[in-house]
Amino acid sequence: MTMDSALFFFLAAVTIISALTVILQSNPIFCALALAMTMISVAGLFASMNAWFVAGVQLIVYAGAVMVLFVMVLMLFDLKDEVRAFSRGLVSGFLKIASVAVIGGVIAAAVWMSAETLFSSTANVAQMSGTASTKALADLLFKKYLFSFEAMGALLLIIAIGAVALSRIEGGTHAD
Amino acid sequence: MGKDGFEITVNIVKMFVIFLMMVQAVPILVWLERRGSAFIQNRTGPNRVGPLGLVQLLADAVKFLFKQPFVPEKGVAPLYYFAPVMALIPGALALNSIPLSVPIKIEPFEMLGRMFGPYTFLFQGYDMGIGIVFILGISSLGVYAILLAGWGSSNKYSLMGAVRGAAQGISYELALSLALVGILMVYGTLSFKEIVDAQQGTLTFMAFGKEHALPFLPNWGIFYQPLGALIFFAATFAEANRLPFDLPEAEGELVAGFHTEYGGFNLLLFYIGEYGHMMVASALLATFYFGGYNIPGTTPEEVLAFWQVKMGVGNLAAILTAVSFHLSLLVRIALFLWIFIHVRWTLPRFRYDQLMSLGWKTMLPWALANVVVTAVWLWLGHKV
Repeated sequence: MTMDSALFFFLAAVTIISALTVILQSNPIFCALALAMTMISVAGLFASMNAWFVAGVQLIVYAGAVMVLFVMVLMLFDLKDEVRAFSRGLVSGFLKIASVAVIGGVIAAAVWMSAETLFSSTANVAQMSGTASTKALADLLFKKYLFSFEAMGALLLIIAIGAVALSRIEGGTHAD
Repeated sequence: MGKDGFEITVNIVKMFVIFLMMVQAVPILVWLERRGSAFIQNRTGPNRVGPLGLVQLLADAVKFLFKQPFVPEKGVAPLYYFAPVMALIPGALALNSIPLSVPIKIEPFEMLGRMFGPYTFLFQGYDMGIGIVFILGISSLGVYAILLAGWGSSNKYSLMGAVRGAAQGISYELALSLALVGILMVYGTLSFKEIVDAQQGTLTFMAFGKEHALPFLPNWGIFYQPLGALIFFAATFAEANRLPFDLPEAEGELVAGFHTEYGGFNLLLFYIGEYGHMMVASALLATFYFGGYNIPGTTPEEVLAFWQVKMGVGNLAAILTAVSFHLSLLVRIALFLWIFIHVRWTLPRFRYDQLMSLGWKTMLPWALANVVVTAVWLWLGHKV
């Protein structure tokens, strides 16, 4: 086993164990910290595939900003009502089964669509320096996929505005 | 890592040496902080143990090490013990990725009857290639130390400090990143090495398709990005939780903030983390805006030739060249560290709402404006 594959298996094991911890732990703080650990090891996986910029952005955006906000909010609020609302009842049971089906479908589709490249050798992929690969990524994002990139930005903006609008309703998300 | 055992060993030892450098600078900085604050406040400061109180640090270290460690009764032990370690990790990783001097080219040499070489050793722990993005990613993890400490000690003051720390960290990271975007646009690279190399020589810049030269000024980043340098400098204070941005530990309101429940060696680790952050911030400020390890008015080749005349052609000259440039960087780091300490004992602390409005309503818009102005200037500069 080479260094690279040893690193991959180590990072993959850390990712899976911490992702399992997220759903198996009952303490929300530990769940959030395990999710942060998942993000960090996914960043490590990206880095081991020479996708340096994506790894860095994964650290900055997910592990650094999003998860810090999650942890901070979890520490500030008492989440007992929400726990009860999401753990029993017919609707939430249906939602659970539906989300399992969606996740299963996504995984199956990912394996099926990448089956060709999954077992082919990647040894002949050209090694690029961090700056060069970032430039190549920027070329793709801002030239070829410009419309989808901007559409994603607009979508995120709509979500942000929606969140602000929701929070301004009297009683917030708990309004009767 | 390297071709043979010697190179791998040197590269691994290098990382530990840089980490130890960070840890070892802390007692000197603590001494400087205590004597400096005494000097600023017209006091004497610690002066009994050893000449000028220099051995006071040793006494402090012994005291810290021999205190009884304990976890608060309702604290979460794993988080409580992990938080101080987490405070060290980002600083150590970041300092290792900054080039501290020119690479050393070692000619083949004989040792223990075997031939070794030739090698090129970088004067840094590892070269990530995406320097700026790596630094931003690692420094954004620093907030976890404060959050874990606040939650793990299950104390209201600690938790308030932790939540303040997280909010402050996220707010000022935006301004910090946007200030670096200006540097990214000017130099067009993510690698520290290339940024430092681009700052050699005297100031030359493009404006309206013509090249202008100011031969009496060094070619430093601060002349291209003065506002960016100011915003970056101010935001690093917030990231390192130093006064005037030390709201997470505001001792007037929160006893000691996130480390209220800490004592002994665990508290010492938080201090090392804080001073490590200051060192990384100073090294980055020097790298981005003050020419990195360059010596104004000379080049690495000239310095190498000078040492080769003095010491003869060989590995010693190459090592002495690297040491000269390293000293040049250290002078800058020491200067910025002194500014960090001086500011702490000169300015009062912000109120929390002032801190937030400064971050979101002043520094963020100015950093955005800096990006836009830089973009327009670069576009005009290369337009004929």
